[in-house]
Amino acid sequence: MASPQNLKYDADQHLWVDIDGDTATIGITDFAQSQLGDLLYVELPDEDDDFERGDEFSVVESGKKANGLEAPFGFTIVAANDVLDDEPEAINEDAFENWIVRVKITDEDGIDDLVDAAAYDAACQA
Amino acid sequence: MRTFFGEKIMNITVIGAGPGGYEAAIAAAKYGADVTLVEKDEVGGTCLNRGCIPTKAFLGASDALDAVEHAKDFGISVENVSVDYPAIVARKNKIKDGLVKGIKFLLDQNGIRLVKGTAFIESPQLVTVQTEEGPVNVESDKMIIATGSVPVVPKMFKYDGTKVITSDEILDLQEAPKSIIIVGGGVIGCEIGQFLAKMGSKVTIVEALKQILPNEDADVSKQLLRQLKREKIKVITGTAVSEVTVTDDGVKADLANGKSVEADLMLVSIGRRAYLDRLGYEKAGVETDDKGRINVDETMVTNVPNIYAIGDIVATPQLAHVASKEGVTAAQNAVKGMDKKVSYKAVPACVFTDPEVAAVGIREDQAAAAGIETKTGTFEFRGLGKAQAMGKIQGTVKIITDPDNVIIGASVIGPHASDLLAELTMAVELGLTAEQLGDVIHPHPSLSEAVMEAAHDVHGMSIHK
Repeated sequence: MASPQNLKYDADQHLWVDIDGDTATIGITDFAQSQLGDLLYVELPDEDDDFERGDEFSVVESGKKANGLEAPFGFTIVAANDVLDDEPEAINEDAFENWIVRVKITDEDGIDDLVDAAAYDAACQA
Repeated sequence: MRTFFGEKIMNITVIGAGPGGYEAAIAAAKYGADVTLVEKDEVGGTCLNRGCIPTKAFLGASDALDAVEHAKDFGISVENVSVDYPAIVARKNKIKDGLVKGIKFLLDQNGIRLVKGTAFIESPQLVTVQTEEGPVNVESDKMIIATGSVPVVPKMFKYDGTKVITSDEILDLQEAPKSIIIVGGGVIGCEIGQFLAKMGSKVTIVEALKQILPNEDADVSKQLLRQLKREKIKVITGTAVSEVTVTDDGVKADLANGKSVEADLMLVSIGRRAYLDRLGYEKAGVETDDKGRINVDETMVTNVPNIYAIGDIVATPQLAHVASKEGVTAAQNAVKGMDKKVSYKAVPACVFTDPEVAAVGIREDQAAAAGIETKTGTFEFRGLGKAQAMGKIQGTVKIITDPDNVIIGASVIGPHASDLLAELTMAVELGLTAEQLGDVIHPHPSLSEAVMEAAHDVHGMSIHK
């Protein structure tokens, strides 16, 4: 699946980021879910948890891999997608629809390192 | 040197009865020497009395608690679980006392004279021991110094042994503290921190370097951090403690990042230094390095030909099993006049957290810094039927090879990592290739399959990945 044009991407962490002013919505990409296989568990942070760039804010686990997700920039959790508690496989069905966290951006350092869809898809092909 | 039926019997004095010293003494006795072992405290040293063994006894208790708390996952219900902390400490002491007796029995069996007291080296041939009954002179042909190490506590921490403590005091608390600040996220900090958190303490670990377990692989450190956070342990890295204030209620630590942490207790676990205080080694002409450690060559001999030094007082890894190896080697060289060298190519190191951490040889980042090209293979325990059946799926085996596939290092985080490391240590020591290790039939179902799969993964041939 080609990555949506309207999102930004963290090519190292395989995250998509939808920035809207000082808030953002974050999930893992379709490429990431295809590499992990069927997800069995998504560990979600609590509301108001603070994360600095590089901190692990969630873990996505499949039958063969536990993959930590590191914050691409500093943020505070506004909401975590509770649907994933019962249905982690929702990410396998549509990774771009089923977000993991909504955040308030607290430190923009790192946002400039995000890439567009074309660059991300090219990085996955390499 | 006295003679026995025309054979010369060598006299050896070993100072310090930790795992380095007592093993050196027994080895020297087995090689035929007449051995005097001097110890001011209890045989077994830090390892048995204030280190490896007591903490493992504690972890035995927290494993038991963990098992009952998660019994429901296995279809077993347990009610009214409670912790009897003094009973945990009592069990620890019983285990320790039993092992101390065991060592004393071994010393007796090998005809070793144990002198209880503080040694002072008068000359390369003479040691004076201050015993309860007064000074005793011990003359010997050769000497092995094995006095070990003590916790490092800079003055700024205001160490008082009650509110600001070290690993020496933490093991005999009669209750788990309500809250504790642990300064130093190394082996001791992580092991004790996790144990106390399971016992109900609110734990904050402050580590000055950028990761907990600074000597371990970065991925391994991250996985352990994930587990500590799941257990609600607060971990602050990349920040040093700038000031400590002891109050009536507890301890306050001001951090370099401007924040501060308060708790009932503070454990300072930032490292250990060579313990050579008032030993008099300089009177015998023994030289030390700029960090106060005794200079030795790979045969463990000092600059004074009849004096050897081993364990935490020399510039090699501060690990019980390294001290033991050095002790036995020194004994062999001293008694048999050999020049056997200790190989440090494959030194296993373990951290008894849950999941356990174990590593040997070179790390990926060390290889990169040294300009060594590497290949890696990894395998996660969750891919094994055995790990799933045990309910212990967190963790990974990572194997590092050189371009010729020779295994030069490995890191394991996961169930029984310390046991699994033995095979990898042998592989590094013997210079096996990933293919040779992977080609060995591994038992199924067992956790060791993760080692086999990681070896195969070095060349992209892991079946279950």
